[in-house]
Amino acid sequence: MMDGPALEARGVTKRYGSRDALCGVDLVARPGEVHGLLGPNGAGKTTLMRVVLGLVQRDAGTVQVLGRDLHSTAGPIPSGVAGLVETPAFYPYLSGRDNLGLLARLDGVRKSGDRLHRVLAQTGLEPHADVDVSAYSAGMRQRLGLAAALLRAPRLLVLDEPTSALDPGSARDVRALARTIADEGAAVVLSSHDMAEVEGLCSNLTVIDRGRVVFSGAVDELRRTTGILHRLHTSDDGAALQLASGSPGLRATAVAGGGLEVSADRDALDAYVIGLGAAGVAVRALQSSGRSLESLFLELTGYNGARPS
Amino acid sequence: MRVRGVIAVVGVEWFKLAAQLKTRVVLGACVAGPFLFAATIRLQNSLPEDTLFGRAVKESGFAVSLVILGFAALWACPALTSAIGGDVFAAEDRHRTWKTVLTRSCSRADVFVGKVLTALGFSSLAVTLLAVSSVAAGLLLIGSQPLIGLSGVLLERDQALMRVALAWVSVLPPAFGFTALAVLLSVATRSSAAGIGLPVVAGLIMQLLALVDGPEPVRQILISSAFGAWHGLLTAPPFYRPLVYGTVVSGIYFVVCLAISYAIVRRRDIGE
Repeated sequence: MMDGPALEARGVTKRYGSRDALCGVDLVARPGEVHGLLGPNGAGKTTLMRVVLGLVQRDAGTVQVLGRDLHSTAGPIPSGVAGLVETPAFYPYLSGRDNLGLLARLDGVRKSGDRLHRVLAQTGLEPHADVDVSAYSAGMRQRLGLAAALLRAPRLLVLDEPTSALDPGSARDVRALARTIADEGAAVVLSSHDMAEVEGLCSNLTVIDRGRVVFSGAVDELRRTTGILHRLHTSDDGAALQLASGSPGLRATAVAGGGLEVSADRDALDAYVIGLGAAGVAVRALQSSGRSLESLFLELTGYNGARPS
Repeated sequence: MRVRGVIAVVGVEWFKLAAQLKTRVVLGACVAGPFLFAATIRLQNSLPEDTLFGRAVKESGFAVSLVILGFAALWACPALTSAIGGDVFAAEDRHRTWKTVLTRSCSRADVFVGKVLTALGFSSLAVTLLAVSSVAAGLLLIGSQPLIGLSGVLLERDQALMRVALAWVSVLPPAFGFTALAVLLSVATRSSAAGIGLPVVAGLIMQLLALVDGPEPVRQILISSAFGAWHGLLTAPPFYRPLVYGTVVSGIYFVVCLAISYAIVRRRDIGE
């Protein structure tokens, strides 16, 4: 296992015309970890993954993969780096096996029979390997994309929503595979909108919003920094929400079905409850609860169903 | 750029070509077309008299090949050469496979050179098949009688065969120039339709420009003029100036189109 990070991106910036897709983004993934990359749609996750895989030329910043500088998009990506970005695409008039065989040739492997057999078995595609890709379902293409990535025996594996098109059983298999690959010493960078998936797999997270990193660190650290979550029921939730908006160190969101979710430390919460009483709003119930990654994500990105422009 | 990488890309591209019906149809047409033409000529009473060597198609099989060459130079060569050259890059856009190809161990230079070599190889193969098939069709269905050259001198069988072969070889430089033009259009537009169709349209426009009484410098820079340079090989004595000039013009098209194409491929951001 290598000592340094498998991936170290520093200050990565990418502009498309006048739009900043990435603004000084840092991302560090170490061998043996599954690193979650989270963010709302359009946050810049896929652009960052494309930069790391040499598909998109960054405007500024540095990217090191497996200890090697990735200078530009012109060169080949180093061996041991593999990725799956958005929906995998293959030549539809060739079988899955032939597609993988061609990709192995591009990797410099001429006799790839055993390796193909192994990755097809790992991804559960062996029975469909000789069928033309045009007949594959979205899930099968996703698995073929994973097989193509595994062909490169990755020590850095970049996976962009790898379970998005899969049924629950297949998604579980892919998660187990990602875990196994990390346990064998590779770094896996995984983006997903499935918070339960990220929470179950990832030890560390980078959260991006509008091209900027809004959090980077361990999931537990995220919980600590964003305060404890409380469930609050009052006699007037509207007034309570309004009062919360003016309370320092406290954030509150309305919950469907009634009540509020309040994130605050103890002092801020005490002041808030006293303030509610003074404003004539009765507190009917107040419970502290563990926070889901989803609520942390929503709080970090300020997402409440409709993105502010 | 690594030679091994380029060889790998060429191998992959030919494997893909071999698996496509389009390839077989185009190459099949190159083989069958001349036989159909020769058989039709043999069966009908009239001759394609308005075509160079058209009056001689029933007298010498070599004339059949030269009539087909005249037609191919006008119409078929731009289409044949752009069939693959205009699709070899744009197909990756159509199938959205750029990200699949460029996340392997080949550089963009390897991929570019490999694809261009494949397109040039296909153009050579198509022209060669058309040449061999047209000579074979002429000799088998009409006969191997001597050919009367453009100066009225009789060319014996061996001599005629040599001149016909050289005439076909002479269309390779403009064919490569058209292939490079097709590659450029394919890379710039990311569209197979544009990559395949626009070179043919460009060829037609050039033919029209050559027909109208336009300024000489304009006519001289038309790559399509190089397709007619073989006429000088069938005169006595042969004159090579148009051939040399056509080869130089084709070379300029080739270098400029491929240089621009590579610059685009090298700098391109690969999105979906």
